[in-house]
Amino acid sequence: MEVAKDTTILNAAISAGVYIKSACGGDGVCGQCKVILKKGKVAVQPAGRLSPEEKQAGIHLACLSEVHGDLEVEIPPESKLDFEKLTTDAYSAAEEIEPPASIIKEGIFKHSPLATKIYLELPQPNLNDKISDLERLYRQLAKIKVPISQISLSNIKRLGELLRDSDWKVTATLAKKDGVTEIVHLESADTSGKNFGMCFDIGTTTISAQLVDLNSKHTLGAKAAYNKQASFGSDVITRIIYAREKDGLEKLHNAVAEEMNRMIQELIKEHNIDLNDVNCVVCAGNTTMIQLLLEIDPSYIRKEPYVPTANFLPVIRASEVEININPRGLLFCVPGVSSYVGGDVSAGVLSCGLNKAKNLSLLIDIGTNGEIVLGNKDFLVASAASAGPAFEGSGLSCGMRASAGAIEKVKINPKNFSVEYKTIGSARARGICGSGYIDIISEMLRTGLIDKLGRMKSGYNKEFIIVKKEEADSSADIIISEADIENIKRAKAAIYSAASALIRHMGFDFKDLKKIFIAGGFGTSIDIEKAITIGLLPGLNKSRFVFVGNSSLAGARQILLSEEAMEKAEKIAKKITYLELSVEPSYMDEYMAALFFPHTDLNRFPSIRH
Amino acid sequence: MELMFEKWAGAVSVLNIGATKEEGGTRAKTIQIGGEKTLPFLFAEGALPHKPVIAFEIWDVPPQDWPGEKDVLSWAEICAKDYGAELLCLRLQGSHPDFGNKSAADQAKLVVQLLKKVSLPLVILGCGDDTKDNLVLPACCEAARGERCLIGSATQDSYKTLTAAVLADGHNIIAESPIDINIAKQLNILISDMGLALERIAVNPTIGALGYGLEYAYSIMERARLAGLSGDKTLACPFICFVGQEAWRAKEAKEAGIEQGILWEAITATALIQAGADLLVMRHPKAIEKVKKYIGGLFRS
Repeated sequence: MEVAKDTTILNAAISAGVYIKSACGGDGVCGQCKVILKKGKVAVQPAGRLSPEEKQAGIHLACLSEVHGDLEVEIPPESKLDFEKLTTDAYSAAEEIEPPASIIKEGIFKHSPLATKIYLELPQPNLNDKISDLERLYRQLAKIKVPISQISLSNIKRLGELLRDSDWKVTATLAKKDGVTEIVHLESADTSGKNFGMCFDIGTTTISAQLVDLNSKHTLGAKAAYNKQASFGSDVITRIIYAREKDGLEKLHNAVAEEMNRMIQELIKEHNIDLNDVNCVVCAGNTTMIQLLLEIDPSYIRKEPYVPTANFLPVIRASEVEININPRGLLFCVPGVSSYVGGDVSAGVLSCGLNKAKNLSLLIDIGTNGEIVLGNKDFLVASAASAGPAFEGSGLSCGMRASAGAIEKVKINPKNFSVEYKTIGSARARGICGSGYIDIISEMLRTGLIDKLGRMKSGYNKEFIIVKKEEADSSADIIISEADIENIKRAKAAIYSAASALIRHMGFDFKDLKKIFIAGGFGTSIDIEKAITIGLLPGLNKSRFVFVGNSSLAGARQILLSEEAMEKAEKIAKKITYLELSVEPSYMDEYMAALFFPHTDLNRFPSIRH
Repeated sequence: MELMFEKWAGAVSVLNIGATKEEGGTRAKTIQIGGEKTLPFLFAEGALPHKPVIAFEIWDVPPQDWPGEKDVLSWAEICAKDYGAELLCLRLQGSHPDFGNKSAADQAKLVVQLLKKVSLPLVILGCGDDTKDNLVLPACCEAARGERCLIGSATQDSYKTLTAAVLADGHNIIAESPIDINIAKQLNILISDMGLALERIAVNPTIGALGYGLEYAYSIMERARLAGLSGDKTLACPFICFVGQEAWRAKEAKEAGIEQGILWEAITATALIQAGADLLVMRHPKAIEKVKKYIGGLFRS
């Protein structure tokens, strides 16, 4: 491939579609992007991240090496950001197509999809009825009580020929755009039976999507894939920084848009649907993800006083952000609350019904950006906690997303430490997903394989084999290491302490919570008791917990199917108060005390005391 | 005027160091520390049954940057006879690969000799090299079986071997944390999870000398003590503070004449006593004398 002089190897690799690990997003700090220079010359910025031996061996940091001539570069396996290893089919089917039964029954909102198709048979004009084509169309729509107020010039231009060619039988696609109904698209003949939409949850680590039949309300298919922006940094902050680099914003935008387009393509192919019949897209995501999707500079999110460019975004054409559906199709973003509490949270609250709860309830969304919402029908307060991607299976030695072949349930025999496990789809084991890690660590604690710090029993050389490679669909043993456990420990501490700090700030106690909704991409379920054992969830009675799966995606789907839900989501976003934990002095104390299994304060976990 | 008194739910645990003949050891007496039922020296509010105790620090090899005796056995005897020490703290510095690399067997033999030479209860410390200490300290534990010594230090990174040895041979353990109340607590839980009772743990909170973070150590000790008195058993262990090693590292102690050094050590010790220190490991006999006097004053009324 060809690149401009002074392009870094890292950027060149990204342009070539080769993904190199780079947690710091190209700052030369993390030292993950090591590559071997086989041939050619580069200009290297000095960095202390390489040992003299490594330098001798021709190892360079891809982010600090600028191309100054033809190169041959080898990427060692440990530097490869191997999405494929994690998910052999990168867009594997998500575990659940329909929402878990625990999500409050859908259909509570009036069915009024954001895009509707109406078949019209217009009376032909004659000398007695000679109103114009457009007025004729409006008159017909007015008969069925659709107030039309907008149509684009491009549609008007085609109107005369279209009506006559189609023998005055057309299908109009109508969309509600900020309270106004617009004729988005006109086509000949009756295609009203083919009206589809897509909903997306755009997470920092994972993107999930569903294809929905807007007429029947059925979810036809679902996909999930890692967010390829990960090669520009694993968390939102490094991506925001990267966005300021040359072409950075564009690259970040392209990474997410391409992935979304790929998922749409896969789904319409599988279900034999014409792209032109996909008329709208609803996206829920954290504020940074949405701004990157819309190619809005996210820089100010990161800077005090942490203000996003927009929380409430107008409806736009999907094509404006290079999302390929019907060329005139629309894209909606679920409104967000603040820089670190985005539309995914509004959608989550909507789908689990927290905003209608009579009693004090809590929603915990366990993701890279963990979000916590406390409240009931009277108030809603939210906080965010950066937990890292561990529970989504990223950044761990054998981690993977919750898809086929992921170990999700584990039992360890306390006598001989033999392991029994169950994988998603009962496929051969390929790795471990978030719920699997929760199970494994809780079992290791129970059997004494690790202590409450997460240190392994002597004789295990800091790793424990879950599945031998001979038994697995993997070239190496599937293991858990002490570093993995440390990673999970930090992630669970971030989430627990954020919930704890928020609840205390509001003058409540965990005991006051009547219901706790657990959201996150954990396959089919999460073992609540085991999550309590490791201290991820508070030590309350199991009956108070409700697992709601990907609540953000569920909310986005509700919005896709109902304008009323969209209005509700807007109300929710306006109602949620954001509490910034980073300025809350007790948060750090809470976090430090939570870096233990289950917690330094055992009184909070009465079921685990011995 | 009515005085308001706090009612505490908990109390600091009592740690016994040294076993007498009746208890299966050979020590002349047993030293008890801890047992406080209130914050330092609020005698009207609760019981403070045991005075803070000072241990004389002695080394198996002659220290390089502070004066000590060449022969540890005679050093111990001087402390006992000339200075009236109640307790000795033997640091096995010579085990360190950089300070002589003495073997576990040699060090165990030394402990036996020392126990024969003096009848004072004993604190035994490793050299700070985890790998080596994990060889030497278990051997010393075994050699001193039944003497109920206080042995250290267990840290978050290395506590299992020492805990197992202490448990097997009936000693007590020092749990060391880096001026961090969470780690102090976690380490106590980890040690007690292995079966060693919390009552057999002395916490080394890590301290700084006057001018070198003393107030930080003070606040950590105070927080831990408040938690312990409030009923948190995992933080209700007595404190051991290594005053001598910290005070004599201070530039002001080393460079302005011996008198200032002595005062530096004594002031550091008295401040920590006010923070709740139960056992102070000190170096200079004159500093020790001053602090003993101070303790006597506190308990006179």
